[in-house]
Amino acid sequence: MASANASYGQKETSDQNFDYMFKILIIGNSSVGKTSFLFRYADDSFTPAFVSTVGIDFKVKTIYRNDKRIKLQIWDTAGQERYRTITTAYYRGAMGFILMYDITNEDSFNAVQDWATQIKTYSWDNAQVLLVGNKCDMEDERVVAAERGRQLSEQLGFEYFEASAKDNINVKQTFERLVDVICERMSDSLDNADPTVTGGKQGPQLSEQPQRSSQDCAC
Amino acid sequence: MAADSDPETEVFEITDFTTASEWERFVSRVEEVLNDWKLIGSSAGRASPEKGEYTSGTWEEKSQEINFADFKFSITHHYLKQESDKSDLKEELEEDAFPLAMQDLLCMNNDFPPRAHCLVRWYGMREFLVISPGANCEAITSESKCNLLLSSVSISLANSGCQVPMFVQIQQKWRRLYAGECQGPGVRTDFEMVHLRKVPSQYNHLSGLLDIFKAKIGCPLTPLPPVTIAIRFTYVLQDWQQYSWPQQPPDFDALLGGEVGGVEFGKLPFGACEDPISELHLATTWPHLTEGIVVDNDVYSDLDPLQAPHWSVRVRKAENPQCLLGDFLNEFFKLCCRKESTEEILGRGLTEEEGKENTDLSAALSKLTEPAAAPMSKLSVSSMVHSARKHIRRHRRVDESPLSNDVLNSILLYLFPDAAVERSSTGASDASDGRAAPPPSTGGRSEPDKDSDYNLFNQLKSAPSDSLTYRLALCVCLVNFYHGGVRALAHLWQEFVLEMRFRWENNHLVYGLASGAPDLRCCLLHQKLQMLNCCIERKRARDESRKASDGGKERDRPLPGGGENGRRSRREGAAGATAATAAGSGAAREASPGKSWDSWSDSEDEFFECLSDQEEAAAAKEGEAEKGGAGRAKPPDGRLHPHGTMTLLNPSTEPMYIPVTQEPAPMTEDLLEEQSEVLAKLGTTAEGAHLRARMQSACLLSDMESFKAANPGCSLEDFVRWYSPRDYVEEEVVDEAGAPVLRGELSARMKIPGNMWAEAWDTARSVPARRQKRLFDDTKEAEKVLHYLSVQKPADLTRHLLPCILHAAVLKLKEEESLEDIPSVKKAVQQATSHASKQLRHPNPDHKKLEEVISQLVAVETVIARARSLKAKFGIGKAEAGEDSEDLEKFVISLLEEPEVAVLGAGRGPAGSIIHKLFVSSQRLTDFTSDEAALLAPMDDDLVRPGGGADDRKPMGGGLNVPDFPPPAGREILLRTCVPRPAPYSKALPQRLFCVLLREDFRLAGALSSDTSFF
Repeated sequence: MASANASYGQKETSDQNFDYMFKILIIGNSSVGKTSFLFRYADDSFTPAFVSTVGIDFKVKTIYRNDKRIKLQIWDTAGQERYRTITTAYYRGAMGFILMYDITNEDSFNAVQDWATQIKTYSWDNAQVLLVGNKCDMEDERVVAAERGRQLSEQLGFEYFEASAKDNINVKQTFERLVDVICERMSDSLDNADPTVTGGKQGPQLSEQPQRSSQDCAC
Repeated sequence: MAADSDPETEVFEITDFTTASEWERFVSRVEEVLNDWKLIGSSAGRASPEKGEYTSGTWEEKSQEINFADFKFSITHHYLKQESDKSDLKEELEEDAFPLAMQDLLCMNNDFPPRAHCLVRWYGMREFLVISPGANCEAITSESKCNLLLSSVSISLANSGCQVPMFVQIQQKWRRLYAGECQGPGVRTDFEMVHLRKVPSQYNHLSGLLDIFKAKIGCPLTPLPPVTIAIRFTYVLQDWQQYSWPQQPPDFDALLGGEVGGVEFGKLPFGACEDPISELHLATTWPHLTEGIVVDNDVYSDLDPLQAPHWSVRVRKAENPQCLLGDFLNEFFKLCCRKESTEEILGRGLTEEEGKENTDLSAALSKLTEPAAAPMSKLSVSSMVHSARKHIRRHRRVDESPLSNDVLNSILLYLFPDAAVERSSTGASDASDGRAAPPPSTGGRSEPDKDSDYNLFNQLKSAPSDSLTYRLALCVCLVNFYHGGVRALAHLWQEFVLEMRFRWENNHLVYGLASGAPDLRCCLLHQKLQMLNCCIERKRARDESRKASDGGKERDRPLPGGGENGRRSRREGAAGATAATAAGSGAAREASPGKSWDSWSDSEDEFFECLSDQEEAAAAKEGEAEKGGAGRAKPPDGRLHPHGTMTLLNPSTEPMYIPVTQEPAPMTEDLLEEQSEVLAKLGTTAEGAHLRARMQSACLLSDMESFKAANPGCSLEDFVRWYSPRDYVEEEVVDEAGAPVLRGELSARMKIPGNMWAEAWDTARSVPARRQKRLFDDTKEAEKVLHYLSVQKPADLTRHLLPCILHAAVLKLKEEESLEDIPSVKKAVQQATSHASKQLRHPNPDHKKLEEVISQLVAVETVIARARSLKAKFGIGKAEAGEDSEDLEKFVISLLEEPEVAVLGAGRGPAGSIIHKLFVSSQRLTDFTSDEAALLAPMDDDLVRPGGGADDRKPMGGGLNVPDFPPPAGREILLRTCVPRPAPYSKALPQRLFCVLLREDFRLAGALSSDTSFF
């Protein structure tokens, strides 16, 4: 697997059994459910209370997409303000972001704009972002209407999902959509690059493209 | 196929006995090709091409190899790609319309196309086939061979009904001699050609050529239908002498003289060293003349170029003119491949000496840092730098250092302008250095107002254009080019690293770097320098506060005796101080907590120690009544400010204080990578995750300790309310008295037994940040950075700085372009930038691709230089009023981008009159040496462009002795008519003769059609 070795960011020495490796970051305010979301996706498990993440943690999941084995290295971050400087350092090199808020918490929604700015400042400018409103099972306590989430996502140019890690709603879809968007962008940039760039040895390096892909809301 | 397979297969093996001979096979092969390419059937019916379509449209070609016996030919189909589909029009066709090619013979829309196959120029066709000998085959030189080929062509055209003209190339390739034919229903056109080295004198003018044409047609009619004539004369202007090339190579000696402004180092040179425009070709055209209107014979000519109704101009560009920026970039880029280390380049002696002098240096400097009484502002970096440097120089033999002192000094001054500022402010002047006033800090670029330009560093992963890194890149590039190549570069780098060490050891911030943590958007070298600054900043804060707290106690002063020693003793002093204070305040350090807490901090015993007097006083006042969490009364310590109006939960009247905390360790991208690799290696198991959390908990623990110190008696709930508010859940409940009361508790996840937060809280002691173990060991990190810098080889350095140089080049090009405003250049710069951006994002950019980027940039420079050259020649920018100059500017720009540009108003327009003047003054200079003026210009293979033409007839137009124009370098005369041939009662058919008269080339290309049914 030639291209596997040229993977992005860190090399996982133990497991070379993939075609591409995507590094994905989950960010958002503290206790919006980032860790739960990740555990639901990676382990298909749910615990009402995970220990608040200290610094940064990660999980790995390998999926098949378009006949390619894609290894997702998903980094879960601490949401506390104090950890911003530590976690933003990891933004560069991430190919995708899941920006999460809690539909039962107004503050976490209000902070989305800030998080988006952070992404813009610290990530590669071609990183793909999905906005996720988590805890959509808690309809009774909802304070952020789905419509508001959708509007904000359009304004920011991100795709948007409402999801629930607890009831396993839209978790897999979110990740798969993000992977697809990354793949699209990658093939875009490979198409547009001069033919020599597409030579296998470069690996899945995204390169910048001025235009954004279509912003349809996936809901 | 297996031997025993169906016997039927044998039946299908057909041998075509009709293609018996090689010749017949060849003919049928040609027919096959025509069939394959779908060239059979009527070609007529398409509209005649638009004016200029031959130039604006795209020409395509297809070719295939065919054999005549063992002789290889290639057959090529050339055609103009046309939008309209011929099938639409086919229905309206008359049965016996002329083939397309015959119509094209008379079409006047595309005479003299600036860029086309020679056959297109000669015969005006939009589609044709050529059979030419294969690559390694000899030319068709004998007449019989030629005839054989022509008859093959004739037969295959007749057999297939193909109406596309087909040519055979005969004689040597360079002669571009073709013969061919075109067949239509009842008509055929023969294409014949004459090619001579000398122009026969009787045919050296229009009337002679008309005679030939008429004779060839042999038309029996009298009077003959009129012949239409198109004429183009081409004049070549080579002599630009009167316009000396405006670009002077910069005078680098001046740089070293008295007027050395550091600014000079901030500028990349730009422009071509030679004129990038070598020739101007003026084509004067009479597109539509009729026989009898003009007279042109051996004694007189009406054809005065000034009177020609149509002028067009093309320029010949010098190939790869030497351009300064390009040279710079290329030379710099070459360094990337060097293998030698600094030591190997400079020689061992020099580096060893360096080490020895290091101590001398610090000794010399120590006296400056020594007296605590001396205010810091009086200390001057520069005076220290320079005294130290002079010291070094004394040891080093002058001939050993590749960079002379003067150059080195001015470079260092440019790189570290703060030295000069301080120097001039303290009034200490060192006249012998001959340095100029402090240069502006923003390097070569003073307008970061253009946001996109300023943020280019993000795209290219370089460094901001006003940063030290960027300036260093410029200097390295310059030094490499002008001041001694790789040796000088190594020397400069060594000095640079020395300066970095000096600044670290003397607590001087490195000038010209954004403060704060390393910017991961910049190149690694920039990050490293920023990291060094972080270290210096921390160390400075530490040293200053220690100085403040310990007054003038001698042990805390940086000790003389060399950097390494000084640092070590300082460290010992610090440790001693810590012990003393710790004992004094009664907070004896208990048994150290688990080592794992410290994994991310340094293992050396270094502590903050910055108790200030006020703090102490405040602490004494507030501290008495409070009981520490550990049961001991302890004054609060390390408070930053109250946390709003929040109070602690337990002694609920006490306001909550946000503590002074330790900043997390800044990271460069390589450290970050290392760390995340370590974290990733722990795997995804629960244990791995737990270990990861522990490894990262140093910061949490430190914050908890600071919080405890600032808020004696606080609980985890208090901490969480500050640190992670959402983990403290408040509920409104009604108490016994019926009043609503807020009751809060930790969130479920904080209550998980044995969770990281609770665990850390239990472990945390009450220690203010300044007395905690440092999360960031600036000493160690600074040494790491300095070591990293010192082991970079010159090639490494160039690789580090390449993004900055490309960045600078792009900015330079943009700046230069903005003066010229050439649209294509804007686009090209953008393309090059995004190409570079793609490459530079790779951790190890591909060498080849980077080379491409550089050549893209160089190409842009060349275009700008050409524009400049042309503008100078056409006098643009000399404050001429009105539309004229605007038109002129447009004209000049299109000269660059289009193969040939029409001159508005021909010889009488504004551009025309300038061109006229150019020729006139050139004529004056060369006076009577017309031979030289008409040097034959080498041309593209497939283009007929006029070359030289010694035309010794009387000059036309112009003054008494010296004509305004040199004799035309080339003359093209196109004769056309439509007459019945061969018999008077035959159909009237297109006839055409194209004559090219050059100095050593005479060509007649005739296309004579005849009726094959009625003759």
